[in-house]
Formats: sequence, structure tokens, C-alpha cells
Amino acid sequence: MMQDILLALPMAIIVLGAFVLMILGQSKKLPLEKLSHVSLLFLLLSLLIQLFTINSYAPHFLFAEIFKESFIVDKFAAIFDIMFTVGAGLTLLINNDYFKSRNYFSGEYFALLLFSVFGMMMLSHAHELISIFIALEIASLSVYTLVGYHKDNHLSSEAMMKYMILGALTGAFFLLGIALIYALVGSTSLTDIAQYVEAHNIQELSLVLVGGSFIMVSILFKIGAVPFHAWIIDVYHGAPYPITMFIASTFKIAIFAIALRLYLVDFASVNSFWNEMLQAITIITLFGGSWLALSQKQVKRMLAASSIVHSGYLLIGISSIGFGSDLAAAAVMFYLIAYFLSAAGAFGILSFIASRSSKQMTYDDFKGFAQRRPYMALMMTIFMLSLAGFPSTIGFLGKFYIFTSAIESGQILLAGLGIFTAFVSVYYYFKLVAMMYFYPSTTPQKVFPLNVSTVIIAMMALIIVWGGIGTSLVPYIPGADGFINIAVDAIKSLH
Amino acid sequence: MSAHLFFLLVALLFSIGLVGVISRRNLFVVYMSVELMLSAITLLFATLSQTLNSANASVMSLLTIAIIAAEAALFLAMIIHLYRINRTLDSEQCTSLKQEAL
Repeated sequence: MMQDILLALPMAIIVLGAFVLMILGQSKKLPLEKLSHVSLLFLLLSLLIQLFTINSYAPHFLFAEIFKESFIVDKFAAIFDIMFTVGAGLTLLINNDYFKSRNYFSGEYFALLLFSVFGMMMLSHAHELISIFIALEIASLSVYTLVGYHKDNHLSSEAMMKYMILGALTGAFFLLGIALIYALVGSTSLTDIAQYVEAHNIQELSLVLVGGSFIMVSILFKIGAVPFHAWIIDVYHGAPYPITMFIASTFKIAIFAIALRLYLVDFASVNSFWNEMLQAITIITLFGGSWLALSQKQVKRMLAASSIVHSGYLLIGISSIGFGSDLAAAAVMFYLIAYFLSAAGAFGILSFIASRSSKQMTYDDFKGFAQRRPYMALMMTIFMLSLAGFPSTIGFLGKFYIFTSAIESGQILLAGLGIFTAFVSVYYYFKLVAMMYFYPSTTPQKVFPLNVSTVIIAMMALIIVWGGIGTSLVPYIPGADGFINIAVDAIKSLH
Repeated sequence: MSAHLFFLLVALLFSIGLVGVISRRNLFVVYMSVELMLSAITLLFATLSQTLNSANASVMSLLTIAIIAAEAALFLAMIIHLYRINRTLDSEQCTSLKQEAL
């Protein structure tokens, strides 16, 4: 019991922090910066407890005598929890200047952010379909509100409207999937479903397959795979920069946490049923995402479209799991870490620039950026290289593992297409690099502002390079092989 | 009454809701259609509680109603807000995030 309380403490601290911030946010005297510090304090506290407890337990159910099998603690969930807390912390730190430069931010911003982190943590721990749905709704409802946070801006409100209608629609599909699975199995616990699926052959499981497909539709929607991608570019564009960064890096990972758990544990013995479907979706996601990314003029929209392509790479990994590749699950996990670092960094720089001007950033606005701000341009180049999958960055290793697992499972076509779209992606990422370096600047060089945001961004750029070439010789800091070991460990704890 | 009739009703309500979301332009009607879909699933849970003879599904339908209520609060707030901005609830008027031509 005591141990359970300790293990649930990270989640409890986050939700407690959200309530505290909701109350503090009502105060007119407290400046936003203080509230930001309070929320960072809660995130840090939660992160410290997670780091202390990560190696000290075997997988088991949280408060089993009260909640039965609703929540599980294992290394898989722990790694994701760390990413969510770090993601939210980075969002707050990097956007330290942004929310001071805009007058529409208020105390609720921090409370909503913590609520959505709580929802995501609950999602990675959930081991029962209804809890998964509730966790997903807690996270999504907070994110919907955050997307529409700039109330006076019609772009932001419109983005929220689009996201919310489509999100609610797919939420209904998710719930229908749960109902259908429950109708056949008579339980919503993932353990019971996995046992039931294992004990019956595929002809008797039609309701589980239909229900699983509905759940998959809603997961594919949330990650923005191509037939369900209609919202993604508009929402990323309309949302304020910190929120775009938060959705692109952290929220997307949360969806993969639950997708991996469902796919590897729940439907493990029937997941070959979805093989063809997933392959088809992967192929159109890679092509459709690339096409959309090529046709964008604004950098924010280009990054949004390229996040569709990254979902495509992750789907290659997921469909390799279905074909029985051992490496695939760890590869997906590693790619998530790599994508998380690169996307958070790239959006972080955009928001840093946006905090100093109110321009819509098109490619043209980046002309001569390298002369104006040489260090920022260098970091942006590192993030672009990592997103494109250039060797010596962590993004390259992520793609390397994904394609290896695809070849290992015999999907030569998918691996080939993946490599092809990686080459295409060089065009739209390096266009930005070319804009920054190959044009003269009209304004003189500005000094490198040494504050929290820039230091954090610089650290992330270093981690990306270190994750690509680093060794594990330095104690306590994972190098290139350290990250994949973490991923393998995490996946092992699922079984 | 047999459970099959209820399943048929659930299927009908869900389909009406889906068609409503896809084909209607008024945001309020779209919202009501989403609610109809979710309510259909609540009814499905309630029916399953009867056929499987277990209270679990009843609890689930109650939980579902709570979630629907949370979503409704946000949805209605958003509709009022959009009406204040645009002076219309026609979703066709929301085109400022259009993809610019290549």
C-alpha cells in the first residue's frame, strides 16, 4: 500500500499542482512568471520521484484492491511519464518569453497544461479500456482549450473548432469500439481481453476485430495519419506557438504510448489482421504527408505537415511489429524519443523568434537569419538535420532502427518508400537551411540573448548530436546506444 | 422486449448522428449530432448490462454520461464564443485557415 502511494505520487503531484494553479490563477496580484515557476516546481517534483522510483519496482497494478486492473506501473509507462513531464517542462521553459510577450495568457494556461499532462500520464498507465478513454478525454479536452487559447484571434478559435468537432467524432468511435469489445468479451480489462483473444480463433472474434478497428481509427486520427489528417495542419497553424510545440512533441507521444500497449498486449495474437490495412495507411501517410509538406509556404505549417510524415515512419515500425520483428517496438520507442527532442527544439526556436515579432513566419522571413542570429541558425540547422534523418544526429539513428526493423520483417517496399520520403524531406527541411544561410541580411547581427529559453534550446541541440554520436562512456548520461537500451528495457516490461 | 431491437435502435441513432456530423453545416446541429452518437453508445452499454447480466456496463454508461457532460460544457462554450466572433454558426464561414495555393 505504501509503495503504491509512492508510485502514484508523480501523477498525484501533477493533478494537485493543476488544482493549486487553478486557485492561484484567480489571483490578480500574482504575475504569470510566478505561476510558471509554481507549475515548473510541481513538474520537477514529479520528475524527481519518477527518476528515483524507475528502477525499483516490478510491473504491478496500482491499488489493486480498489481499482482492480485499471492502472499498471511498469517501466514502459515510467519512460513515457518522464517524457511527458520533461515535455511540459520544456514547453514552459522555452516559452518563457513567449507568454510574457502576449497579453492573452492567464493563470488557467498553466493549470490546463498540467491537467493534460495528468491525462497523458494516466493514459500511459491505463490498463483498462474505460480508463483509457477517460484519460484520453482529460488530455484532449485540455488540449482543445489550449488550442483556442488566443480568444480574440479567429485563427485560434477556428483551429479549436475544427479540432474539437473531429476529436469528438473520433472519441465517439473509440467509445463504440470499447462497447463492441465489451459486448463480446464481457470485460474491459486488457488482461482479460488478451486472454480471451488468445483462447479463441479469429473466426469467433469478429466483434473484437471491428471494435479494435474503431479504436484504431481514433488513434490514427489523433496521430494524424493520412485519411484522418484533415485537421492537423490547420490546428498546428492556428494554435499559439507553445501549444503547437506541446501537441507536436508531447501529445503525439502519449497517443503512441497507448497504441503500443494496445497493439503489443491487448491484440497481440490477432494484430496480423490489421497488417494490410496498416501498410496501406502507412504508404498514403508517407506520400500524402510529403506532398503536403512540399506545398507549404509557412514554416509552422511545413513542420505540421512533416509531422504527418513522421507519423508515417512510426507506422512503418508499428506494422513491422505485426509482421513479427523483434526490434520494431523498441525502434518505435526510440524514434519517439528522437522525434520528441527534434520537434520540441524546432518549434521552440520558432516560438522564440515569434516572441520578438508578430510576423507569420514564411520561408522568406528566414532570409539572412544566419547573419542576424548565427547561433540560433546553427541550432535550427541541427534540428532540421535531425528531423530529416541526417547521420550524426539522433534522428538518423531513429530512422535507421525503423528501417532495419521493416527489412527484418520482410517489408522491403515500406522500407524503400520510407527512405524515398526521407530524401524528399531533405528538400523542405533544407530549403529552410538554405534560406537562412544563402541570403544576406538587411539588419546587423544581434547579440545572442543568454536566457532560459536559449540555454534550453542549446542543450537540446547538444543532446540531439550526443544521441547520434555519443558513447556511454560518460556515466549517467545515455549515449547513442544508451537510448536504445532504455527503449528495449521499456518494451520488455510490457510482456 | 428483445435486446435486438435495442441494438437496432443504437445502430440507427449512431448512424443518424454520423450523417448529421458529416452533412450539416450549422455548428449547433453538428454538436447535437455528436451528442446523439455518444448517447447511442450509452444506450448500448445499458442494453449490454441487461443482456450480459452484469452491473459493470451500467456503471460504464454512467461514466460515459459524465464524460459527455464534460465535453458538452466545452462544446457549448466554444459555440457561444464562435458566435460572438463570427456572428454566425455556419461552419462554411470558417475558412481563414485555408491552404494557400502552391
